Amino acid sequence: MQGSNAGRADASPLTRARWRLTDAADTMLSALFPGRARRLTPYIFLIPAFLIVGVIVAGLFYIGDSSLRVLDRSTFLQSEDYSLENYVNIYERAGYRSVLFRTFSGTAIVTITVLLLSFPYAYLMVRTQSSFLRKFLLFNLFLPFFLGQVVRAYGWLIILGQEGLVNGILGQLGLANISVLYTNTAVLIGLIQYMLPFGVLMLAPALTAIDSDIEAASEGLGAKWYQTLWHVVLPLAKPGFVAATVVVFTITLTEFAIPAILGGGTNDYVANAIYDAFFRVSDMGAGSALGVVLIVIGTTLVSVLFALMGTGTVGFLKEDK
Amino acid sequence: MDDTARRSETSTQAAVQVQDVSMVFDGTPAVDAASFDLAHGRFLTILGPSGSGKTTLLRMIAGFQTPTAGEIFIKGTPVSTTPPHKRSIGMVFQKLALFPHMTAAENVAYPLKMRRFAPADIPGRVKRYLELVQLGPYADRRIHQLSGGQQQRVAIARALVFEPDLLLLDEPLAALDRKLREEMQLEFRRIQQELGVTTINVTHDQREALVVSDEVIVMDDGRIQQMASPTTTYGEPANRFVANFIGVTNFLPGEVIGAESGRARVRVAGHELEGRVAEPLAAGTQVDCALRAEHARILGEAEAVSFSADAVITESIFEGDRTVYSVVAQALGGAQIRVFDTLHAGAGNKGIGDAVRIGWDSRHLMVFPR
Ligand SMILES: Nc1ncnc2c1ncn2[C@@H]1O[C@H](COP(=O)(O)OP(=O)(O)OP(=O)(O)O)[C@@H](O)[C@H]1O
Ligand SMILES: [Mg+2]
Repeated sequence: MQGSNAGRADASPLTRARWRLTDAADTMLSALFPGRARRLTPYIFLIPAFLIVGVIVAGLFYIGDSSLRVLDRSTFLQSEDYSLENYVNIYERAGYRSVLFRTFSGTAIVTITVLLLSFPYAYLMVRTQSSFLRKFLLFNLFLPFFLGQVVRAYGWLIILGQEGLVNGILGQLGLANISVLYTNTAVLIGLIQYMLPFGVLMLAPALTAIDSDIEAASEGLGAKWYQTLWHVVLPLAKPGFVAATVVVFTITLTEFAIPAILGGGTNDYVANAIYDAFFRVSDMGAGSALGVVLIVIGTTLVSVLFALMGTGTVGFLKEDK
Repeated sequence: MDDTARRSETSTQAAVQVQDVSMVFDGTPAVDAASFDLAHGRFLTILGPSGSGKTTLLRMIAGFQTPTAGEIFIKGTPVSTTPPHKRSIGMVFQKLALFPHMTAAENVAYPLKMRRFAPADIPGRVKRYLELVQLGPYADRRIHQLSGGQQQRVAIARALVFEPDLLLLDEPLAALDRKLREEMQLEFRRIQQELGVTTINVTHDQREALVVSDEVIVMDDGRIQQMASPTTTYGEPANRFVANFIGVTNFLPGEVIGAESGRARVRVAGHELEGRVAEPLAAGTQVDCALRAEHARILGEAEAVSFSADAVITESIFEGDRTVYSVVAQALGGAQIRVFDTLHAGAGNKGIGDAVRIGWDSRHLMVFPR
């Protein structure tokens, strides 16, 4: 004990340098913002974030503006006056309607599947006694991040292709070939694999926050494992589920590369349609209108989720009655 | 009484029997061949320093960990293959482990629902146990809306409401301030006596162990050092560790020169001292003579005791109800001895640097092999 006291008295030069730096910063801050003004300090740190959000909001304004102007096909310029034609077009054209339906239904399937798959993964990763297993699971989680989306999508081409791994194995077993590539199923498989790490990463902190003694207590009080899961673990992990849902839902909703590569151009999601509108047919109005529809529906769904579930750890704690 | 009759009698009486139970983590024993019997309705406290294996022993009894060796019997039935939810044990955890998403009443109702009590009985029973811990008006509060002491009591009500065979307490009071802790200790004792539930309490607060228990186990390094009543544990410690861990004790190193029934003569720095021994000690054994600080005295002018020596006060700490002196006795090889002085009898207004005469009655000196 005396040893540690002595250690504190003659701190290492590095530590002392750090102290001096923080002291200097402190003096500077109090010189710059004397007295009451210091309470503003936390807000000052918010300025960069506000600037970035401001740029995005400004961008949204331009998108909203151009979504209300119609493309003149002879001059390829946007009309001077506003009209709702682009929106009517989305509603009336079967192609756009099916893209929207495919996107939202696909996103829902992906979100639910990812939540179901990532919970046991995250739970095992958080609760295992073996540090080797934990590191292995964590490593596997981050491995795909280093590959990038395009490489991963091509990996699926190799696995799911006509002459690919899956059909090779099916052939060996004397079973009929399957052709999932360039179908919506292939897109869903690719998206689920892509989103799984996000789901696990969002759930893991919420599970870590549940003291394992709480589960032990439940068991000691007479609960079987599935009762503990249902009555204790899932309710306490709710903030993690809300966070995972929001992240997986929003990223999947706007996904571009995987539908493009694994869907083979016939299973487009909204992002692909927006890309086509902007860069293939140069119809800024149509692209912007699609973007606005995506934002409005997506934001509404997320807000409804927050309203129903409370924001938990991703927002402000819900007031207790 | 023959042997079989005696065995069957102990097994019907004992609420818990722990037989040669060990728990080895990565080659290191956290609990090493622990054995004890606890009779029905008794309050046992397991006392020991941090890391001595108290929690591990408790978790094995609760069923959260499986012993690597030995067997535990509850009401005479071996339980090593019984999962926790099938044992009838209420446990209060070190960090309470209350369910934060439920109210106090929901927490208390939880074991009743899991154990399939008749739904109609549940509200009444919950109410009764919340009242037992004096939390009636707080039934609908969320856990985080309760104070530390109130949360403590919810945990106790939750552990007791299903009338378990056994109540386990893993230092649930450690986080409370001293006054509240002492209140809660007596509260535990009151509830335990009211319900007559067999209880095993873990603590490293020696005062708590002595105040609330029928029996005390002192553990060190995974091994049970002594199991006895609080008065025996304090008055007749089984070994040097127990003597040192409980109470404030001075140790004087020496060598046995002779022994007779229950007593030994020991040479300490050229003096011959006499003290009690628990086991016969051969001449030549290296020993420590243990003397409680309250048995060492600063003597008045004409006082005579069985042993006395000159000493100098080196430290004096006033604690209100007593003064704690540290003295150095050159005659005892420069040994430093702590003395509790409650009456200020001999010391009068002596202070640091003053010469005094210290002494003790030799029936208070205990001799332990080193
Ligand atoms: N799951 C585990 N894996 C490995 N070692 C463990 C495990 N649990 C406990 N130990 C070790 O076993 C020993 C006893 O631990 P235990 O928690 O039983 O001590 P304790 O007496 O309850 O201590 P405290 O008073 O600090 O709570 C310690 O050395 C601890 O490091
Ligand atoms: Mg412990």
